[in-house]
Amino acid sequence: MSTNIYSFLLFKSLYQPMEAFRQLSESEPSPSGVLFRYSIWLLILPPAFSLIGAANFGWRLGAAEPLMLSRQALILVSAGYFVVLLFGLLSTSIISRWMASTYDASTALGRHVALITIVGEPLAVGSLAHLFPDVFVNILIIIPTMIWSMYLLYKGLPIALGITSEKGMLMASSLVGWLLVAAVSLLGISMMLWTLGVGPLLGV
Amino acid sequence: MSNESNKLYHDQIVLRLIQFSVFWALAAMAAGVYISAELVWPTLDFGQFWLSFGRLRPLHTNGIIFGFGISALMATGFYSVQRTSHVPLFAPRLAWFCCYAWQLIVLLGGLSLLAGWTTSKEYAELEWPFDIAIAIVWVCFGIVFFGTIANRTIRPIYISNWFYGALIIVIAMLHIVNSLAIPASIGKSYSLFAGAQDAVVQWWYGHNAVGFLLTGGFLGMLYYFLPKHAGRPIWSYRLSVVAFWAFTYSYIWAGPHHLHYSSVPEWVLSLAMVMSVILLAPSWATMINGIMTVSSASEKLKTDPALKFIVLSLAFYGLATFEGPMMSFPSVNVVSHFTDWTIGHVHSGALGWNAMITYGTFYYLVPRLVGNELYSTRLANIHFWMALAGTMLYIVAMWGAGVSQGLLWLSVDEIGELSFSFKDIMSSMTPYYALRLIAGMIFLGGTFLMAYNLYKTVAGRATVEVRVPDVDPAVGVTA
Repeated sequence: MSTNIYSFLLFKSLYQPMEAFRQLSESEPSPSGVLFRYSIWLLILPPAFSLIGAANFGWRLGAAEPLMLSRQALILVSAGYFVVLLFGLLSTSIISRWMASTYDASTALGRHVALITIVGEPLAVGSLAHLFPDVFVNILIIIPTMIWSMYLLYKGLPIALGITSEKGMLMASSLVGWLLVAAVSLLGISMMLWTLGVGPLLGV
Repeated sequence: MSNESNKLYHDQIVLRLIQFSVFWALAAMAAGVYISAELVWPTLDFGQFWLSFGRLRPLHTNGIIFGFGISALMATGFYSVQRTSHVPLFAPRLAWFCCYAWQLIVLLGGLSLLAGWTTSKEYAELEWPFDIAIAIVWVCFGIVFFGTIANRTIRPIYISNWFYGALIIVIAMLHIVNSLAIPASIGKSYSLFAGAQDAVVQWWYGHNAVGFLLTGGFLGMLYYFLPKHAGRPIWSYRLSVVAFWAFTYSYIWAGPHHLHYSSVPEWVLSLAMVMSVILLAPSWATMINGIMTVSSASEKLKTDPALKFIVLSLAFYGLATFEGPMMSFPSVNVVSHFTDWTIGHVHSGALGWNAMITYGTFYYLVPRLVGNELYSTRLANIHFWMALAGTMLYIVAMWGAGVSQGLLWLSVDEIGELSFSFKDIMSSMTPYYALRLIAGMIFLGGTFLMAYNLYKTVAGRATVEVRVPDVDPAVGVTA
């Protein structure tokens, strides 16, 4: 059963997400199994695409000249990107499990890691846009994928964790609050690193 | 007035203030959408001064804060203080005076802004005749509110009243001090403060207008209407009281974080930053209190679309109250300041928190005021998703624009020269501004749906007469 769920999550969850949520509700996969046999492959995508795109084309921020970073800086930024994504997945999963007891939902950590990964999967695949590193193009692609992710969160959470849709709505909204904070933290941390000299050369 | 009628709550004034609030929301948000269109197509001002960005922008902000926001706070404050004090409003004629005089100030003040009268102080642009009028009406608002509390027949003063009370007292203090000026003519005055002192006083006012009006006042709304909505008492009353005092103490210091990298002494800026970070604790205490209150009332979501607005407003409240302290760090502020990220931050609070909680409250309150079912639950649900989509789109567009701007205008080449010109950077922002325009139109469209829904709910109906209930002798003032 566990082997089935891992292969299902990895290969079919993108185009059959509701079936993935349903299968998840009937199993209790191990957290490390989900992480290493499913989540990690998706977490690698955004930093890898970002590295390839920025190394070849440079980030276009709207001005005429693209922002070219040294190879060393790019590797550092991409490694940091991966660490932040990994931290984001694990912290969100742990917070989701912490919230679960309030909403009478399943507290099996593996389910929460898988749930958050399925929800984030469209964003990971949407990071293909990083191959064309223009900020506005990336935003245009992120917006519909983000809407799809939020839809999956609101629809899939009650199915995967075995609670009513009303309780699911409340728990999903609480998670949205956390995810918004995580997103804005990522922006803030990036800016702090830039002003410390990691990344683009800024006159500060 | 007979003794019997004295025992009825004064709810007509609440309904009238809600109607004004919705009207100002539509007008001021429409002005916001128009100026966002001007940033995409600058010629939309048609060469008219009164249509220029510089004049319409303060109309937008003042219309939202003073028209939409304060009318909503007066309405909900008058409604809840009667219920939590178990007495009708003190001096109801004065309350009616507050209602109409306030609308007159917003209307004439808005016209004066279009005519070019301005102090140029953010959120305090109105000139001295309006400042005096605002102070008078505000004091009247305080007399009605505190008079009602003084007349209460129940001993405890409920937590929402502490927040509304702080709103009235602190805004009076901020407004009067920041507006001190020497008039030169009917439409022009000069601030009593100059230079760095002027900047510190202005942002002491500006940030605490956000703090005690857009945060504290609306927290009063939350603490009364969320438990009513959920049909549960607040999760931890003790936490709400601790959060109130921590909030009141720490907010007032945070203003100078708007002035990083200026001629203001560094210790003032550091103090403001530290206080901004401390502020996270009471802000999130309130958010957790709200989420835990609603967590046990999930069955209400089946029948009550309004509760969704309040639940989501808490998520955006969490975002905005985290984002603000983070942006007060000098190492973040050096990149984020003067960029559109700040505009996105303000709107995550204004759209996601203030507007959403007000919409949720209006959907709850208006049907009860007129004794009728909400005209269309379906329209309210559509409105919810439009409000969420509009807010998210707005924030993401401004995050993208802000980060790009911050990076571009700080970028230097190997010899330390700026890499990009300001003009080039701004002209490259058009796609983001187009996205923001779409976001604003979606949000405004949702507000129109609500206005129509509430109009159809109220049409042809009078407010229901509600008698003041008896007080449990155990908590009565004479107990």
